[in-house]
Amino acid sequence: MNEKDIEIIRALQNEEVYLTLDPFGEIARDLGMDKSKLLEAVNDLKERGAIRRFGAAITPHKAGFTSNAMVAWEVDEDMEEAAAGIMAAHPRVSHCYLRPPFEDFPYTLYTMTHANSPEDLDEILEEMSEKTGVKKRRVLKSVKEFKKSSPVYFP
Amino acid sequence: MLDSIDKEILNRIQGDFPVSGDPYGDIGREVGIPADEVLDRVKRLKGDGIIRKVGPFFDAKRMGHKSTLCAVDVPEEKIEETADIISGYVEVTHNYLRLGHPNIWFTLIARDAGEIDRILAEISEKAGVGPIRNLPARKMFKIKVDLKLEKN
Repeated sequence: MNEKDIEIIRALQNEEVYLTLDPFGEIARDLGMDKSKLLEAVNDLKERGAIRRFGAAITPHKAGFTSNAMVAWEVDEDMEEAAAGIMAAHPRVSHCYLRPPFEDFPYTLYTMTHANSPEDLDEILEEMSEKTGVKKRRVLKSVKEFKKSSPVYFP
Repeated sequence: MLDSIDKEILNRIQGDFPVSGDPYGDIGREVGIPADEVLDRVKRLKGDGIIRKVGPFFDAKRMGHKSTLCAVDVPEEKIEETADIISGYVEVTHNYLRLGHPNIWFTLIARDAGEIDRILAEISEKAGVGPIRNLPARKMFKIKVDLKLEKN
C-alpha cells in the first residue's frame, strides 16, 4: 500500500456517498482526481485483492433470514480441509474458517449459516453434517448483539 | 415488504456493486427501471435496515492487518459491563452474547498481532475477566455474505 492507495482507501470508506447517483464522481472530486483515474485505481485494488468485493451487505434477519447461527464443528485433523471445503460451498454458508481448539473446546471448524426458520436451519446443518460426515457440533446461538460494524482502515 | 424488483436489485448488488461512472444506471438497465428509481429503492432498503451498508469490503490480510475471533467466559453479573468495554474498541467489529461457555464472542481487526495482544490484555485487565481465547483463523475457506432472495 502506498500513500496514494491509502488516501483512496480512506475516501472509499465514506459510505454515505454510495447513496448518490454518481458516487465515484463525488469521491474523485473530494480527492481532486479524474473520475476515470479513480475508477482505474479502484478496479486495480479489486484485482490486487485488497478490496475483496464492492457491494451491499444485507441485514440477514431483516431480509427474511431469521435463523442465523455460528456453528463450531469438531472434526478430525485429517478430514478438516475436505469438510471445510464442502461446507464453504453451501450457498447458505457465508463464513467458513479453521481455528485452533482450546481447553474444553475441541471444535475447530467454524461456519455462519443463514436460514429462513429454525426448521430450515436444522435441515441445512443436518445436510452439512451428512455431506461431510462431521457429527459433533455446537450451535453458538446468539442471545444478544452488542456491536456489529465495519472495520475502519487507516483512520 | 420486498417486491420482486427489490429482490432482483439486492441479488445483483450484494455480490457486485458496479465500479463505474454510472452504477445505478448500469443496475437499472439490467433490472429494467431508470437509475433514479434504483437509487430510491436502495435508499429505502437502507432506511429500513435491510441493507446495512453499500461500499467496499476490504481483505484484512491483504491490507496488512490481522483479524481474529475471540471468546471469553464471563459471569452473568459482569456481562453488560464487559461487553461495553469490548465494544468500546474501534478495532472490535462484532460482539455477541452466545449460549453456552464461553459466552462472549467478538471479532477484532488490528494492524498487527502485537496490537491484538495488547488490546486483549487491556480488556482482561479493565473488565477483570479471562482467559480471553484468541482464535485467529488457521485457514479461511469462505467469507462472502451473498444470500440469494427467492422471488415471490
